[in-house]
Amino acid sequence: MNATIEKYTPKLMALPTFIILLIISLVPLIYVLGISFTDSTISKPFNDFIWFENYKKALTDEVFGDSLVNTLVFAFVVTTIQTFLGFVLAFAMQRERKLSGVLRTLALLPLFTPPVAIAMIWRLIYDPNQGMLNYYMLKWGLVSAPAAFLGDKTLAFPSIMLADIWQWTPFCFLLCLAALQSLPRDPYEAAMVDGASAWYVFKRLTLPMVAPQVIVIFLFRFLIALKVFDLIYMLTFGGPGNTTQVASFYIYRVSFKQFQTGYGGALSILVLILISVLATLLTKGRELLLKRVE
Amino acid sequence: MKKLTLVLSVFVVLAMLLAACQPAATPAPEKPAEPTKAPEKPAEPTKAPEKPPEVSAAVNKEVCSGKTIKFLTIQPHNVAAQNLQTWFQEVSGATVELIVVPYDNVIEKAVLDVTSGANEVDVVEYWYPGLGTLVESNVLENLDQWYVDNAGWLKADDFFPTYFDTFTKIGNSRYGIPYDGDMHILWYYKPLLEKYNLKPPATWDEYLNVCKTITEGEKGAAYGCAIMGAKIPLILIGTFLNRLGSYGGSFFDANGKPVVNSPEAVAALEGLVEQSKYALPTASAVAFDEALGGWFTGKVGMVEFWTDLGSMTDDPSASKIVGQWGVVPLPKGPGDKGKVVASVNAGFGVGVSTGSKNKECAFEFLKFTADPETAKRYNTVVGGIDPVRKSTLDDPKYIEFVGKEVADAIREAHKNAVAWPTSALWFKLQEPLNDNLSLALTGQKTPKQALDDTQKAWEEMLK
Repeated sequence: MNATIEKYTPKLMALPTFIILLIISLVPLIYVLGISFTDSTISKPFNDFIWFENYKKALTDEVFGDSLVNTLVFAFVVTTIQTFLGFVLAFAMQRERKLSGVLRTLALLPLFTPPVAIAMIWRLIYDPNQGMLNYYMLKWGLVSAPAAFLGDKTLAFPSIMLADIWQWTPFCFLLCLAALQSLPRDPYEAAMVDGASAWYVFKRLTLPMVAPQVIVIFLFRFLIALKVFDLIYMLTFGGPGNTTQVASFYIYRVSFKQFQTGYGGALSILVLILISVLATLLTKGRELLLKRVE
Repeated sequence: MKKLTLVLSVFVVLAMLLAACQPAATPAPEKPAEPTKAPEKPAEPTKAPEKPPEVSAAVNKEVCSGKTIKFLTIQPHNVAAQNLQTWFQEVSGATVELIVVPYDNVIEKAVLDVTSGANEVDVVEYWYPGLGTLVESNVLENLDQWYVDNAGWLKADDFFPTYFDTFTKIGNSRYGIPYDGDMHILWYYKPLLEKYNLKPPATWDEYLNVCKTITEGEKGAAYGCAIMGAKIPLILIGTFLNRLGSYGGSFFDANGKPVVNSPEAVAALEGLVEQSKYALPTASAVAFDEALGGWFTGKVGMVEFWTDLGSMTDDPSASKIVGQWGVVPLPKGPGDKGKVVASVNAGFGVGVSTGSKNKECAFEFLKFTADPETAKRYNTVVGGIDPVRKSTLDDPKYIEFVGKEVADAIREAHKNAVAWPTSALWFKLQEPLNDNLSLALTGQKTPKQALDDTQKAWEEMLK
């Protein structure tokens, strides 16, 4: 009897959490999957079962295709830069020095600022007429006329990327710092005794030891970046044209501006599949890389 | 891998069962989108009175005292809503809470409030092109009987015909009252035009010339015009409609068929694209706030804006150009079909939510808002609410508040108003139009290509 209780107690204790997780994650997923097979609108959920019509439509939807490409480009570019900058900053600040606490807090500020406030700050910075960036660019003679960072089809997407890099680099910095500080000290002491150069220590010790964690950080951040919405909504609304239209914003427009929730559901499922495939590929890639490093 | 496939298959089967087993909702008949011309005269109430209509708009304190109602309003109307809140609380004993949302989110907020079952909102301020969507989604109470019951004091024929049916009526029924009458007229900054010896433009060709002359002359210190072309339907489609109507084009013909790629429409968009080259940088990123920023600082020669801009401009705490502005109707389009129009961009109505938990008090709030005397009060404070009643426009206090020039311009604008469609399909239709206008404005499509693509998308959607 005691053995049985002992065997099942942990499972029973975990059961409430498991049930709650099941409800909050699976039920909405099944609901979205369900409406994706219907011609639902916001006022007529589960209206007309239409099998895979929404999926067929999505596969020929050029705007959706473009928005997926934009999403992938955005996520890859910002994540690469953020991980690199985060690592460099963390490497520079890993040793305890004077003011390092203050500097770390300052570096983390963008992470603690609400996304809407960040978007408003960048909107003011980018403003062609009263924005800080144009003011100094004009003052220093870098441009002859104000640049429309958010209104120009070639500048809009890089401008949003810059705002995102500013916002999320601290996230990568924080995780890279934790990774660097968790490295064992013994190999470094041995290297010091052997008289290894700083560059050699970095290349042969730090990089191989920290690489697994940095790849995980890249993976996390990449998956978060695929869901970008707030900056697009606040800064460009997907424009000019469709140049900054990303998948999450397009799904929002379809579902809550056109009220086509059935089609929006199908788009969401397709994006979910894409993200799952990418996450699997990246995880496999990480494993292969680690094997090579080892 | 096998396990994963099995789990996924179970999900898909569950979801398909869920979808297939739902009782089919009764499909509401879709009407073709309505043409853009505003109706000529208000419709008569649909039901015969069963009891003598109320002669007074006095609020019934008994049904409101101690109650709390929530008023969904938009951010640009926050000040007006705060006034209504204070005044209504004083006369009713109720507490009014404001739910303030961005102007382009009000329809989705109202729909989601009811369809999700949250039922947080009692009274809804709605953007009128969303009326069909709200009615289709059963968000607004039918007001046919309310109009009959309150005919005595309501004086429905006092509402401008431009707004009355357009803002309140779907099919043969009414679902709201006109609240904010918003038409675009052309505002100009006198010192900039005078500096170049220019007159306010009467045609779009003159407009282009004025805009170009100032922009080229000022070399970046100021611009001839601000064009609101940010990719937000209310903003960008409104700017396009200002030209479309005056060029003699429309979104739909008299039979409700789309004609958005007519030669007049293409010429109107070509005009807009050309004008945007000389506008405050950059038209495709300029919305409400950016245009106002340029205008209030004297950096802009002309702006197409709503009729309350004069009172806002004369507020010295916000503006550097107090008293230095003029106003004229929107320019006339070219050729035989060209005419002077005023686009009803961004008008708002007020209705009672079907999900209201304090419906009786919500109706008292509606009554208070519709009262001609209340209208005179909220139309004479800075708050973004423009008159929907003829009596307000004729009221000496209002004329003193906005100036005779503006009052005359509004009166003139009502003669040639063009409105947006209010069909339940409009919110779906406006998205490809919005996308394509933005693509044309940024040079990614030619105006003809953009409107051809819109026409094709609309025909597909209306099949």
